Amino acid sequence: MGEVIVVTSGKGGVGKTTTTANLGTGLAQLGYKVALVDADIGLRNLDVVLGLENRIVYDITDVTGGHCRLRQALIKDKRYEGLFLLPAAQTKDKTAVSPDQMKALCEDLSQEFDYVIIDCPAGIEQGFRNAIAGAHRAIVVTTPEVSAVRDADRIIGLLEAAELRDPKLIINRVRHKMVAAGDMMSIDDIIDILAVDLLGVVPEDEMVIITTNRGEAVIQDDRSRSGMAFRNIVRRITGEQVPLLPLEEGGLFSKLRRLMGFK
Amino acid sequence: MDNRRKTAGKQILDEIEGDENTILIRRTLRSGQKFHYSGNVVVMGDVNPGAEVVATGNIIVMGQIRGMVHAGAEGDESAMVMAFRLQPTQLRIANHITRPPDDEVADSSVPEMARIKNGVVTIESYPAKA
Repeated sequence: MGEVIVVTSGKGGVGKTTTTANLGTGLAQLGYKVALVDADIGLRNLDVVLGLENRIVYDITDVTGGHCRLRQALIKDKRYEGLFLLPAAQTKDKTAVSPDQMKALCEDLSQEFDYVIIDCPAGIEQGFRNAIAGAHRAIVVTTPEVSAVRDADRIIGLLEAAELRDPKLIINRVRHKMVAAGDMMSIDDIIDILAVDLLGVVPEDEMVIITTNRGEAVIQDDRSRSGMAFRNIVRRITGEQVPLLPLEEGGLFSKLRRLMGFK
Repeated sequence: MDNRRKTAGKQILDEIEGDENTILIRRTLRSGQKFHYSGNVVVMGDVNPGAEVVATGNIIVMGQIRGMVHAGAEGDESAMVMAFRLQPTQLRIANHITRPPDDEVADSSVPEMARIKNGVVTIESYPAKA
């Protein structure tokens, strides 16, 4: 039986959907069978990020409502054999699905897939309750901003109350230069407050926007640092021990200089 | 001998507050979590920003206070708040409401205690320096 992971954050705009798309793509690259579930009913966008928008026929509410079979609603990714998407409905709202229906759905998906990754909507209302209902573990995404960290803290509390213990943390959009100058919260500051295990740190990277707009995932880009960070996170999810990336950006030249003892 | 032991025992009892309930919370209180208790509260963990602890008695936090704490919530001016690191967003004792000064950068690494002295909420390191 596969593992059901919910990607959540509380605050909007911190990168839940981008993270979900990248983790799914990364796991599929490693040969796993992965189902991505867009639980953001009414504001669906995971399909857009994956470039699969024009293939949608049925959505999650059609499955829970019994209008189609689960297999019919699953959309196969263009690039990776093992990657599938269950899209959200755009014309309904969060109350169209109940936590019990989500639980049953996750149960069904986990029979067939190695990983089921759920893209949780922002907020802590019914959409959130639905998204976490069938999850085995949770990944909390935050950015180094006080508002995002505060919301992440709230979410971790709610996850614990829902018996989803030991969530893992991804800190997204970190700008090393600002951290070094003391203008941005550091990783240590965030861990000090949230006190959960760190799954990975993703640097701010223009490539994320560029690839997302093309309907691709940055993890497919071998050169970008954010892609590298996501690849490491994927390996950690599969149980591998991978050290954190050094935060400072640097090309070959600065690496060489560091090797030779220049700062 | 017997008599002396009795007096010593009574003295200690005088320093122990007897009738109040005390509760032990063995975890960190996170944003949005509110804890209200009639009696003393001991937290083994932190009180994060956005969390609230309200107690009619004393509040002791074996960790950091970064949220809101209210000791002596029903008007007990002798109530105190103690923490390994005291950096609350707001600290209330009885009907006194205080917040750290806006320009404060002081980052105390020693345990501190807040209580009302001469009608003002006063924060001192704990144990008090001689």
